[in-house]
Formats: sequence, structure tokens, C-alpha cells
Amino acid sequence: MPDKELSSMEHLKARSHYLRGNLAEDMADPLTGGVTEDSAQLLKFHGMYLQDDRDLRPERTKKKLEKAFGFMIRIRLPGGVITPQQWLALDEVARSYAGETLRLTTRQTFQMHGVLKFNVKTVLKRINQVALDTIAACGDDTRGVMAVSNPHQSRIHAVVYDIARRTSLHFKPKTHAYYEIFLDGEKVAGEGERDDVETIYGKTYMPRKFKIGFAVPPSNDIDVFAQDLGFIAIVGKKNAIEGWNVTVGGGMGMTHGEPETYPRIGDVLGFCRPNDLFAVAEAVCTIQRDWGDRSNRKHARLKYTLDDHGVDVFRAEIAKRAGGPLEKARAFKFTSNGDRYGWTEGENGKHHLTLFVENGRLRDFPDGRRLLTGMRRVAEAHDGEIRITPNQNLIIANIAPENRETIERLVADHRMAENATALRRNSMACVALPTCGLALAESERYLPNLVTKIEERLAAYGLADENITLRMTGCPNGCARPYIAEIGLVGKGPDRYNLYLGAAFDGSRMNKLYREDLDGEAIVAALDPVFAAYAKERQKGERFGDFTVRAGFVAKTVNGLDFHKDVGAKRTA
Amino acid sequence: MAGHPTIPKTAPFGDEEIALLNRVVGPATATQRAWLAGFLAGLESAAGGAAQTAAPARPAEPITVLYASESGNCERLANDFAKAARKNALKPTLIDMADLDLATLPAIKRLVVIAATWGEGDPPARAVRAFNELMSDRAPRLEGVEFGVLALGDTAYVEFCAIGKKLDERLGKLGARRVADRVDCDLDFAEPAGKWIAETVKTFAPADAANSKVIEVDFTKPAAPPNLDIVEAEITEHLNLNSSRSDKETIHLALSFDGAAPAYEPGDSLDVYAENDPAYVDELLKLAGLSADDKLRNDLIKSRDVTTLSLKTIETYAAQTGHQYVKALIADGQAKEWIAGRQLIDLIATFPIALTADHLRAVTRPLAPRAYSIASSRREVGDEAHLLVSAVRYETHRRARKGVASNFIAERLKKGGRVRVKLRPNRHFALPAPDRDIIMVGPGTGVAPFRAFVQERRATGATGRSWLFFGDRQFTHDFLYQLDWQEALKDGALTRMDVAFSRDTPEKVYVQHKMWEQRRGLIEWLDGGATFYVCGDAKSMAKDVRATLVHVYADVKGIAPETAEQAVAALERDKRYLTDTY
Repeated sequence: MPDKELSSMEHLKARSHYLRGNLAEDMADPLTGGVTEDSAQLLKFHGMYLQDDRDLRPERTKKKLEKAFGFMIRIRLPGGVITPQQWLALDEVARSYAGETLRLTTRQTFQMHGVLKFNVKTVLKRINQVALDTIAACGDDTRGVMAVSNPHQSRIHAVVYDIARRTSLHFKPKTHAYYEIFLDGEKVAGEGERDDVETIYGKTYMPRKFKIGFAVPPSNDIDVFAQDLGFIAIVGKKNAIEGWNVTVGGGMGMTHGEPETYPRIGDVLGFCRPNDLFAVAEAVCTIQRDWGDRSNRKHARLKYTLDDHGVDVFRAEIAKRAGGPLEKARAFKFTSNGDRYGWTEGENGKHHLTLFVENGRLRDFPDGRRLLTGMRRVAEAHDGEIRITPNQNLIIANIAPENRETIERLVADHRMAENATALRRNSMACVALPTCGLALAESERYLPNLVTKIEERLAAYGLADENITLRMTGCPNGCARPYIAEIGLVGKGPDRYNLYLGAAFDGSRMNKLYREDLDGEAIVAALDPVFAAYAKERQKGERFGDFTVRAGFVAKTVNGLDFHKDVGAKRTA
Repeated sequence: MAGHPTIPKTAPFGDEEIALLNRVVGPATATQRAWLAGFLAGLESAAGGAAQTAAPARPAEPITVLYASESGNCERLANDFAKAARKNALKPTLIDMADLDLATLPAIKRLVVIAATWGEGDPPARAVRAFNELMSDRAPRLEGVEFGVLALGDTAYVEFCAIGKKLDERLGKLGARRVADRVDCDLDFAEPAGKWIAETVKTFAPADAANSKVIEVDFTKPAAPPNLDIVEAEITEHLNLNSSRSDKETIHLALSFDGAAPAYEPGDSLDVYAENDPAYVDELLKLAGLSADDKLRNDLIKSRDVTTLSLKTIETYAAQTGHQYVKALIADGQAKEWIAGRQLIDLIATFPIALTADHLRAVTRPLAPRAYSIASSRREVGDEAHLLVSAVRYETHRRARKGVASNFIAERLKKGGRVRVKLRPNRHFALPAPDRDIIMVGPGTGVAPFRAFVQERRATGATGRSWLFFGDRQFTHDFLYQLDWQEALKDGALTRMDVAFSRDTPEKVYVQHKMWEQRRGLIEWLDGGATFYVCGDAKSMAKDVRATLVHVYADVKGIAPETAEQAVAALERDKRYLTDTY
């Protein structure tokens, strides 16, 4: 580690007494809906962001009002699996305290936005009653662990989900701060003064967020290459998991105008046996804990640690810490990072329904689509489970055959499965404005109309039914993983986006910057000739992302370090 | 505010007189004191020592003027009565009903009662205790007392002048002799009240009053009153404090004056002379078939109350127009029910008939000004006055309704425009000595005078602690003056603040719930001598707050509810529980 000054965040963590800081006091201050800057940072470790309604900012001071603060609350939900009973609790708090809407995230969990500070404890206590919490849902720790949502392989899914759940527990911070501050739990005397509370993390936790995910080919729905640490299941002949390919160093975030920051696709470092999985995971985690850059938060993710030290050094260190080297990686094949919609039947004879949820937004829309109410009715009638996919969609899973008709009727009655076009179904947007403090441009509120316009162009070339991935984010931090979308749009300013093309449909290759600073109209205009060429020149079965590289519209991105190289439109018509 | 001069206990006056003198000399300005000194000296020299040798003036006959005042009107009339009485060989004693000891009543020979009716037929808040005592079985017999009652009320309310009527009847039942018939006054009380006072004073005056030479110095009147004329102010700020996501609209209005602002004190109000909504008047005129009459239109907009619908309005309408259905409505006894939630426009729309301008003038009363608590201290804002006005809008009988004054302010006053206002002092809602603690309960626009209190205490460096309870609908969108309060807590002008927002949680939370949560602290402060203020909605909030305080006493002190009630009543008697409700 270079001997550089630690970032202020590191000092804050160190003096926070295991994430307590002044949070309890700040949460109780009745005059402000916010908390201090330090407390806002610590909140993240407890699964919450302090946000404010940016639409309202211009008028607030004039009206003698502070910012319109609201808390974003993210649930820790490994594998995105939730019981109907848990769903009903979330529905209840969303209706009462979170603007009557729930948001499905790109990491298979729920977010509630705009929760008043004074209602946060009520919400957390309520969800605690159904065994849900928000611990480490954000912050410098092991975030929500992802797992394949694919409903076809019900047996494998059950195994992988169980591993994801145990991984989440294994890496869950041990501090009792969350229980003390938010659940009125008993104070653990002296815990803040001890040195041995966090057996994995230590007092300063991780240098930066740390994401883990489990994929099962052929589905790469979790975008395993975007995870800091990914596991790709190698399924043997008897439909049993023989072991895992280990990927390290994925991550989406970057900063505009700072080429030393870049998104990166994880490297497959090798293969491990099921029994070694936790040892490997802990090895990678602790290497990053010890080697990660704690002076510069823009250079603190595992992907930079890996590039700084090199893959070979990193692999050797894993061998040292995990008690043995990784084996040679096994062959695997992904076909897509998207979801398959509609009804399927699992191996266990149960039925599954995958529902498209545009940008993950569950609410009762003014046009009569009642997704929130509909899902509550489903949860009331359903005896299986509900899964959130990494593409912000829902799977009503393990429906007994005799219940299928009921679910079908509820879905129809509440207009929950309106036929969406191919592009829309393959699109994702982050939340962005008005709640996200990082957003430079609109995203969730902007994408639906843009999709409509892009689809008009696709239809003009007979491409309306093509599955093309389109992802938009309001800033370059990459929550909707835009750099592994065939069409990526990243906000730079109000109605200004960078357009990226050329990623692989299965999420194994990133895209490349094609055009900069486009408004909505210019985006459509820039895509139109590419669609025209795709319709005319594509080879049989050729994906749009692959085509744009082969046909010379953009250079191919091989890895993170060349993401910013050779950018720009190589061809425009 | 610091260092009121006080008349020493050793002064050659009785306790009551010392108290009176303190009330005058205490808050007097240097100019006022200098004037008083000069006046008394002048009086002495005018008498030229001869006063001592001349035949002593015959003693004036005592008369007691009892008033039950909410907005201050009855109190002013009581003062008018006292002034007139002095000129007629009477020696008036003014008693606020809040201070009335019932045991003293039978000894009074002459009793004048001037009483307001508030809300839905209630006595003014300060008078509740004495009123209830008088109505109870414990009231003493009053044979030998001569009395007369002047009642103030508002025909817009069904129980018009109910309190005056009840007092008049009760005094008679207790054996007192009515020597002046009661007069019931509406909002335009000045003329009928003045007439009643002139006549009643004559009735009570000794036969040879005209020849007597009684010298009376009016000590009971506050020294050199501030300018109570109508003045024009310029609007320098016109801001909706609610967020654009709120369903409320509360206007912060900053007024500046040509020259000095009226000499208001924290707790005082400003009367705002509003005009009617031209659109409403146009609709009314159209229904009446009088759209062409511009003079009438102007008159109605500027100076007539064109919204209030009272029994009196209906009766006048029936008499003026001879409308058969309206007559039938009255005859059937249904009028009272029918007017609920309705306005004049409903009457004309429902029972149309050919109307003249005179008809319309006859069924409307003069447009009264609307009082708003001042939300600033001159010691902080200089020659400005701030008002906090909530736009009243609702729907009844499928018609959108708008409060006249509040919407005049919210919708038609603009920054740079002008408005006519008049100071309305309220010395019953003033700050205590600077070293005393204060507890303020002011949800919604009820917080206005407390902004004045906090500004005043900051400007004067008051050492007493200040605790504010505020409430509204939504924390994020309706927290009136939030940044001001945060600042005041930081700089110490405010010691504590508790807030209650009713629409942020499934269960509605109000200020009284916060009081309950903080009950130990409340009792600690009150036991330490704190003054408790309540401002805002009279219909439910003020009642809930008082009831809660009784519970708080009972719970924290472990005493019976009746004893707790007495504790709060004692606070009221000691003028440490003060209300300004509407």
C-alpha cells in the first residue's frame, strides 16, 4: 500500500464505534428531516441514503424550508427471493410511508424512496417482524448478494439461492449498531470500544462497496462480469453443481472526464470446488480489504486493486489465503443477460410467471395498470415465493398448478402484463432524478418516452421484434450497468447523454463510446442509420452489439483499461 | 422590555390602585411618563392649592363594568363606558371577566356587562370559568344589583349573541334588577353600542350628575395609545411558505409603512381591510340581474359583506322581496338548518326574484376587517410587520368557497401593492418578564405570534427559556418558517421545539400528543413559573390542548382530574395560561 493520506471516509469509519457515530441523536432531531454529513455516510452501511427531492430544490430556501429530505431504504435481499408474507409487509410500509410505490433494483432488491426520517424506525421495525433488514444494503461492505433468478432450473436455483443467502449472512457486519439505533434493541455495552467485533472487516470495513453474485449458465441475468466477485456455476451431468468459476474485478462506475476511472469486466481467475467457495470468497474479500486503495475513493474498487497488482499476483494471493490454488477455469456458455417473460413450468411441476416491470417501478399508474395493488393481491393468494430479477422484473415462482388460474386472473384484472415491445422488455434505467443525489440527467422518468421513439425507428426497418439491450443511467456510476448494454446511454447533464454501442448480448463484453452529448432527438437520429445498416447487413443470428463492432461503427472493447481507448464513431451511416 | 418602573408598595395608594398605576406606568414610554408627570403637575397648579380649600367634590357613585372580551372589542367598549361614566358622576371599576370573583358580585350596586359571543355560541376563552360559575347553582343571589347588558356577536353564526343573552337572563333570575334593556350588536357594533352606552350611562347616573364637579383621571386606560388609525402599508414580501407539493397555501406577508410602523408589541394583531372577490360579486350581481350597476358593484366589492348568510339575512331578504318560498322556509323553522354551509349567493341562486340595488344593500352588512396576529417583532424587523395568512378554501353544497380576507391576501395582493391595515393591540397575549420561561403552542398559522415572541426575546436578550410546539399537515411541505426555527434553536432564542405533523403517518399526530409525550418537561417548566400560550384554531385545537394540559397535571402530579382542572384554572387566573384563538 502506498503511504498516502487516508480519505476522510476512512477516518469517519474508524471513529464511528462500528457504524454508530452520532446517528441515534441525529435521527431523533425533530427539526430537520436530514442528518449531518457524517451520519449520512454511516447511514449507507445501514442500507439507507439521505436524499432530497431535487425537483423542489429551487423553491425551498425561498420558502424558508430546508431541502425536501427523504430516506432511500434498500432491503438486504440475497438472491432477490421474498415470501408473500414479506411482500405484504413491504407493500404495507410502502403505502404508508414511501409514496405508495416500491422500486425493484438492478441488484434484485427493493428500494423505497422519500421515507421521512421520523418514519424510518417504524419502517425498519415493521420489516424486521418479517425477518427482513437493510444491513449493509449500501456502504463499504458486501452489498446485496445476487443469484440467478432463472425459473427453469428449480433444483439448481434452490441450491444457489441457499448459497447466496449464506454468503450474505457470512459477510454481514457483526456490529449491533443497526439494532440499537433503528430497532430500539438493547445496547451492547462496550462494543464500540472493542477491536474484535468485525471478524472479517475490522473497524474500517471495506475500502469501497463490494459486490458478489452467483450465475448459472446459460443465463447471465446477474451480469456476473459486473460483480467484484462472481461465481459461475458449473453444472454436471446429474444436474449437480460440480464447482464454480471465479470471476474477479468487475465494476461499472467511472467519472466523466477522468480516464483513470473506468468500468471493467471481471476476469475469470479459475475454478473452485463447492466446499472451497467460502474460503475463496473470504480470500478475495480480505485481499481487497487489505490491498484496496483507502486514500482515493475513485480508485478504491477491487477492479483497480486487481489492475494495480496484476492478475497473477492476485491469483497467487488467493491461493495463499484460501489454502490452495484455484483450478483451471471450466468451459461455460452464456446466452443472454436478460429475462424470459411469461409462463414456464419448473422441474418440480410448479409454475412460474415472469412479469415485465418497466424500470422496476411498482405503483398504481394513472392509466389503470395497478402493479402495486395487483402484486398485493397476488401475495395474498400465492403460496410459493416471489423473485426479483436482476433486470428489475418479477417472477411469481413456484405456483401450484391449481393456483395458476387465480394468479392469471389477478394479473389480467390489474393489467400487470401489458404487452411490452422487445426493446422495452430489454431496457433498464436507474432511478436518477429527482431523488438520487448523483444524477446529472434524467433516467427513469426519461427512458420510457425515448424507447417509444427508438422503437419507431426499429419498426421502420422491420426490427421491432429484435431483442436488443438498452440501458440508461443518469450519471456514469453505472447502477443500471449501461456499459454492458448493446445500447448504453449515460447522463452528462440535463438532456445530454453519451451513447455507447457494441456490448455483447450475454454481458461478456463492454461497449464503446460512440457519440457524446446527445439530446433525445439526437440519440434517435444517431441510432437510425445504425439500425438501417443492421437490417441490411447483419449475418444470420448476429446480435446488434456484435454487429456494430463487426460492421465498424465502434471499436471493440476488450477490457477495462482499453474502455477509453479508440472511442468515437468509426462509421455513421 | 427590561426594567419596568414600578410604584413602590409604600406609595400612598391602596393595593388595587398600585396595581392600576403599575399597569399604566409600567409599559409607558419615556414620552408618556414625561407627559403624565407634566399633566399631574399641571392639574395640581390649575387647582392652585384651592382644590384643598374648595368644597370637596361630592364622591362619585361606584359602577362596575364587567367585560368578557376575546378580540378586544368588548374591552374597548368597556373603556368607552368608563369614560362616559366618569363624566356623569360615576366612578367606574373595570373588571375583566377572567378576574371576576363571584363572591364580590352581590355587593355591587350598579353592574354593566359587556359580553362577546365566540365561535358556536361560546364565551370568550378567558371568561369561560366565571361564566360557568355564574351559570351554576353556586352563583350568589343578586338582589339589590341593578344591571344592564350589552351583547356583541356575529349574525353569521347561528347562536347570535348567545352569551350576552344568557348573562342577561341569568342576572335577572338571580334577582338583579334590569334597568337597561339589552342590545345585541353585530360586527358593525360601533353605532348601536355607542348609543347603548350613552343611554345606559344616563340611566345609572345620579340625578344631579350634570351639576357635579368630579375630577377623575383615567388611570385605567393604557397610557398614550399607539396609533389605531387605519394606515396604508406596502407589501414588500408575498410568499407562499408551503411547498408546491402542499395542498395548503400559507402566505408570509411583509408590510412596510410610510414612516414608522404602528407601535405594535408581540402578541398584537393587525386588522386587514380586505375586499371581496370581484368574480364572486359579478356572479352575485348576475344572479340578481344587476350586472349593469357599476356603482353597486364597486360598493359591494369594497365595503359590503356579500358572503355571510345569517338568519337575519334571510329574514331581511324575505321582508324586502316578499319571496314566498323564503317566507315559508322561515315559517317552517327550516331556515336555521338551510343556512349551514351556505352563503348569500346560495340564497339568491336558490330563491331568485327581481332584486334592486337597495335590496342587496339591505341584506348585506358592512364588510368588517379581519385580524391577523403579527408574526414579527419591531425590535428585529424594524418598521415592518409580518403576517401569516392561510388561504381558506373549501367546498360546500357543491360550490367552491373562499375566505374573503385570506384569499384577498393570497390571490389579489402582490408584492409592491398596498393594503389598508389597523393595529389591534392585545395586551392579554403579551410576553412576561424577560427572565420568565414561556411555553408556546401554535399549530398552523397559530405560530405567527410566537415568531414575534422569539424575535423579541432574541432582540432583547431575554434570559427566560422558550419552548415551542408546532404542528401542521406534512413535515416536508408545511413546516412554516422551518429555517427560522432551526436558526432560533441554534442561537438560543428558542430553547426547545416539538413538532407534530398529522399527515405523515397513518395515525394523525397533533400538538397535544407531543405535549403528552413531553408532559414531565411541561410540568417542570410550569412549576418553575412558565407562562403557557395557545394560539390558533379555537374549535378543536385550543380545547384539546387545554384538556391535555389537565391530563398532564393529573398524570405527572398523580392528582385527581378535578384537582388538575383547578391547577389549570389557577394558571388562567394568574394569567399564565393565555390564549389567542380564532
